[in-house]
Amino acid sequence: MKPKIWTIIVFAVLALAVFSYGIVFQASKPAPSLWNIPFIFWSSFLITVLVVLFTFLGSLFFQGEEIEES
Amino acid sequence: MIFWLVFFFTLFLASLGYASYKSYSKNRSSDEFMLAGSNIGALLGFLTFSAALFSAFTFMGMPDFFRTHGVGAWIFLALSDAFMVFTLIWFGYALRKRANITRYRGVAGFMQTCYQNRYVGYLIFTSSFLFLIPYVAIQIRGISIFLDAAFPDLLPYWSWSLLLVILMLIYSEIGGLKAIMYSDAIQGVLLLGVIWIIGITCLKMAGGLETALLQVTDSNADLLSLPGPKGLFSSPFLIASAIAIVLIPISQPQFTTRLVILKDLKSVHKMAYSVGFFAIMVILPTAFIGLYGAVKYPDASTADFLSNSLLFDQAMPVAALAVVGLFAACLSTTNAQIFALGTELRSLLSGTDPQDMKITKIGIVVFSLIVLIFSTYMSDELVLLARVSFTGTSMIAPVVLGAVIFKNPPKSLIFLSSIALGIFILSLAGLVPNKFFDLPLDFLMYILLSTSTLILMLTHHFSQKSTHVN
Repeated sequence: MKPKIWTIIVFAVLALAVFSYGIVFQASKPAPSLWNIPFIFWSSFLITVLVVLFTFLGSLFFQGEEIEES
Repeated sequence: MIFWLVFFFTLFLASLGYASYKSYSKNRSSDEFMLAGSNIGALLGFLTFSAALFSAFTFMGMPDFFRTHGVGAWIFLALSDAFMVFTLIWFGYALRKRANITRYRGVAGFMQTCYQNRYVGYLIFTSSFLFLIPYVAIQIRGISIFLDAAFPDLLPYWSWSLLLVILMLIYSEIGGLKAIMYSDAIQGVLLLGVIWIIGITCLKMAGGLETALLQVTDSNADLLSLPGPKGLFSSPFLIASAIAIVLIPISQPQFTTRLVILKDLKSVHKMAYSVGFFAIMVILPTAFIGLYGAVKYPDASTADFLSNSLLFDQAMPVAALAVVGLFAACLSTTNAQIFALGTELRSLLSGTDPQDMKITKIGIVVFSLIVLIFSTYMSDELVLLARVSFTGTSMIAPVVLGAVIFKNPPKSLIFLSSIALGIFILSLAGLVPNKFFDLPLDFLMYILLSTSTLILMLTHHFSQKSTHVN
């Protein structure tokens, strides 16, 4: 099960990277803003938090741990 | 101000002295001196990795980057760092697994063992030397600009750099890598504390986040969108920057070595997400300082903006703490990199342990002198110079990746990295254009390099029976 979840996490992060650089960061206007915070700033902040969260999850589900310890 | 400066510097120097004393051991081997006994826990590992990563470049370069180029600076560094720490989950495992088989002494020697080829070690060392020296010089240059602007008549310009290098040499000589790691921990905590105090103060002085953003919308709305007022943050620039930063732990020996000497894989993983969290916490207040600068000092020079926002606009104890914090941040990155060059040099030597140690220690002093001289010739574009350093070292990433993935890595990767490094150096010398079809050279090189690496690795994989990973 663990390797499967790790693979899903890797694909989620790759998809997030493609989505961010391919679609989100193309916007040239500061709208839609969130509490006056421009779109690029709050969206990139949110994506950064998500990637760090995926890193935490990845550390729990990475299959290599058992291989190294065994 | 002088009282607070003396007070905080005394505290800081005393803690460095204590770290050196605790790390000193009379009969230590060169492995204990250079690799801290390879038994570092997650907390110390996280702090030393973070302190080596975030430096004067973050403290001074990023506020100025936000002020000049706008909010896209977050994508440039923070998001790229997040992708980098995610990569550490796999890379830390693959690297440690391979390093456990060989006797790891440094990346250059490790590559020589993996490829059974002497040239690859020299390639790694050359790449580190060529691009870490300017990076270290940037740090020293940064702190000198700041301190000289802040205290124009206190000391001659060059003496700030000299002071920093002497201090670094003394405590690294006494305590080795362990002393550097303890001092990194002190400096990491100090950096985080100081940058938040200054960030919050700047935000308050700008009238709060919403007011500051409204003022920037009126004065220079381009700062709040991509690609920024000067058009720097184009998609190719941001993607190339992300790749260069993701490859830092793979291609810069001070980080690669830190991954190997942590005591177990669990510590590497804990360190990875902690560094990601630390990155968010450290870079966010630099955005506040940059926003304040965009409101109050939109047309000031870098030195004027930094000396005003970090020093003269702050309460005296905070300003003094900022000076010490900056000095500490600069020191931690400088010592990590110069010591890493020493480690790389040692890994290429094959004499007796005392002989190798002697040559390594002389090497560290020589590298420090070269850095000192180089720092007087650097420009003030701290962040962009740092990016050149990241990109330059990343050209050897295919070699390192090949070594950790394959039992018998393909030697064609050495040829590929050599060509890539050569082209990049020629572009810096102006002999190769830095743009093709309106796209930056580094972006195009990453496309070519990743495609070629993938093809070479797949071809090798199908022609081999077993690989090291999986």
